[in-house]
Amino acid sequence: MNRYRIRYKKSGPMRYISHLDLLRTMERSARRAKLPLAFTEGFNPHPRVSFAAPLPVGVEGEDEYMDLELETPLQESLLVERLNASSPPGLEILACKEIDKAGPSLMGLVDQATYLAQNIRPFSMDDRQLTEGIRTFLEQQEIVIEKKTKRGTKPKNIRPGIIDLRGTVKGERIIIEMTLKTGSRENIRPEEVLRNLGKGYLPLHVEDFRITRTGLYTADNKSLFAVS
Amino acid sequence: MEQILERILATVEKPARYVGNEWNSVRKNWDETEIKMAFAFPDVYEVGMSHLGMQILYKIVNDRQDTLMERVFAPWVDMEEKMREAGLPLFSLESRRPLGDFDIIGFTLQYEMSFTNILNMLDLAGLPLRSEKRKGDMPLVIAGGPCGFNPEPIAPFIDAFVLGEGEEAINSILDVYRENRRQNRTRREILSVLAGVEGIYVPSFYHFEYNADGTVKKFRHDGSVPPVIKKRAVVDMDKVPFPTSPIVPHTDVVHDRIMLEVMRGCTRGCRFCQAGTIYRPVREKDPEKLLEQARELVCNTGWEEISLTSLSSSDYSAVRELTGRLVDKHGPEKINVALPSLRADAFSVELAKEVQKVRRSSLTFAPEAGTQRLRDVINKGVTEENLMEAVTAAFSAGWSLVKLYFMIGLPTETEEDLEGIVRLAKKVLAVGREVSRSKGRLRVTVSASSFVPKSHTPFQWEPQNSLEELQRKQSFLKQRIKGKGLVFNWHEGEVSLLEGDLARGNRNLAPVLERAWSLGCRFDGWSECFDFSKWERAFQDFDLKPGDYAGRCYRHEDILPWDHLDAGISKKYLIKEHSKAMEGSPTADCRGGKCPGCGICTSLEINTSLVGGKTIEPVQDSL
Repeated sequence: MNRYRIRYKKSGPMRYISHLDLLRTMERSARRAKLPLAFTEGFNPHPRVSFAAPLPVGVEGEDEYMDLELETPLQESLLVERLNASSPPGLEILACKEIDKAGPSLMGLVDQATYLAQNIRPFSMDDRQLTEGIRTFLEQQEIVIEKKTKRGTKPKNIRPGIIDLRGTVKGERIIIEMTLKTGSRENIRPEEVLRNLGKGYLPLHVEDFRITRTGLYTADNKSLFAVS
Repeated sequence: MEQILERILATVEKPARYVGNEWNSVRKNWDETEIKMAFAFPDVYEVGMSHLGMQILYKIVNDRQDTLMERVFAPWVDMEEKMREAGLPLFSLESRRPLGDFDIIGFTLQYEMSFTNILNMLDLAGLPLRSEKRKGDMPLVIAGGPCGFNPEPIAPFIDAFVLGEGEEAINSILDVYRENRRQNRTRREILSVLAGVEGIYVPSFYHFEYNADGTVKKFRHDGSVPPVIKKRAVVDMDKVPFPTSPIVPHTDVVHDRIMLEVMRGCTRGCRFCQAGTIYRPVREKDPEKLLEQARELVCNTGWEEISLTSLSSSDYSAVRELTGRLVDKHGPEKINVALPSLRADAFSVELAKEVQKVRRSSLTFAPEAGTQRLRDVINKGVTEENLMEAVTAAFSAGWSLVKLYFMIGLPTETEEDLEGIVRLAKKVLAVGREVSRSKGRLRVTVSASSFVPKSHTPFQWEPQNSLEELQRKQSFLKQRIKGKGLVFNWHEGEVSLLEGDLARGNRNLAPVLERAWSLGCRFDGWSECFDFSKWERAFQDFDLKPGDYAGRCYRHEDILPWDHLDAGISKKYLIKEHSKAMEGSPTADCRGGKCPGCGICTSLEINTSLVGGKTIEPVQDSL
């Protein structure tokens, strides 16, 4: 068995499909590409595919990762080429490299992500107002949201998970950059940050922004492609 | 529009429903294509995308050089609200074009409870609901599908109906439309040419007068159109286009797998079943052709399951050979073969055992009625012995969940028949306790739907049970089918009642539908949306009440609202079947070789065709 790490982009119309949809879509792309997929054992075999961190519905991902296992080795460039040829528009395979079969999982590695949010509707806001709003927001020790759980909701402080947050205004364009805790240990959603920024700190609505995840990193800030 | 839409998509549930862009979806050059048609499914994306008919028509229309087809589904209530708020018209998935920009909009009529969604979609498209109000340059609104066999309640809203199978009819419509538009013919002129095409029913050329009680007093048609419209049917299923590159949805749809249609039609002749009539005669496909199509489908879709679809796939003559070869060929690629509709007998379970390497959680059987007497009335050729053999085989093969489908409210039903359901459920459970190896997980689920009489069946004259009767029967069963290992499910009686009204109603119901829609009714098949009180109000506004049409008992000599729509079946045969039902006397399946004389083969001049060139010789004079 050979294990491959794949870097891909999920954009345009594909940003509206959920993580579960993506799983299905990737499996079908791989089947159409006739890759020699390795399957799990048991009564209900599934291809051995794993992902780094789910992307929220509506958010684009420029630098996403998945691991894929094959029964027989395949040249990396060929794998990229074949998978691209059988993927729907908006799903683009950027690179692939073979990795150690016994190496840590993507889920275990990922710790933080960078996001870029840009407005899709004009706002009247100047650079100073934006910077000031963000500064006041970050000064808070606690930014509490109601997190959905199996039984109702429970309060959660998202402030500690916000590693970095900054913004600039260029004419009518507002650009907000975030670095947030991401993964199974702690996960902060970019929409939550924007939504809470809109609650008294800045006059903005989360629906007016297009959000892109620009990178996924390990705890010591390394690319997921660099470790394996 | 794009910007408004992006903002809306950020706030609605399951936005993938509205974006399209799936593998194998087709976006043709809008400006270079002469005729643009929209396929409109009056339900949500997940339901509509599970419909094989759509994939068939999508292929045919998009394969033509001069035409294109794009899809549109009913927006869920959250999306509708946002669209109305933003003034966004209903748009197609492929080009995101407003529905009003298309030349033809084709609705599919799969179930009566989607009728209000049709009105809602027309309204969201900015089109007048009534055919007579639509202007020259507005799209032609056509509709087809099973409910097209009694489309009278929606007749005033639709310009033309297609009766029967669409594979060939769609080309006739597109050709007629194109030629006549090139000659700058008016809307009315185009419709009058269409009315002359086989299988096309243009309701505005046909006129009804009703009695005070709502029965038909007089029926007449304009001189230029045929008095009776006969359904379209394909002669050879191996020769019509079948989509081997269907659209593969990204999101979780109801049937998310390869649908390999093995045959069309069913020979069984269950007396309650409308599909049994309207899809006859049975035409089986060649297993070699099916294997080739399966291979292409696997390559082109990436789906991991092949489902053999038809009304009764275990009846397909070469089912064993086909499933065996499919498993041999595609099993190593980890592709499952599935049989969705199982006959209640040991053969079917044996078959399911062979193909389903993965043990599905449940097996479903449909005895439909609780006693042999009532099964003979409805001509359901399943005995208690068949069922017991089937469930014994299922439990011993490792299935621990068996589902049983029954109907309540069937003609001649008595308390004894209801007790029969309870007894069968308990007996099946007892068999499970005896033979199953996983006794802890053992479960028998009983689902009781309510019988709705349908047009073109031997029960088309029969009244439906009243709401009170249905509810009494449901509670009878509820009280008795309980305890460890037994689960009882039922359908809301109110929904069945309205289904019955619409299934056998006439044009008097059109204003009721319109009123129900304007009161806010939509997605009536969805319990979270269904609001019976609004329907009651809508009926009341026209001095009617729900059940007036459903509960009606027609006489054999009455003019029925659908008498001008010919499914090929002879009325004499239906009357004979009706009488035999009342005597509890069964009619043999014509697969046995003896033609019972339903008249469809002779009327359509299409023979039943079975694998290997076999056929069943029809009796010439149908009764």
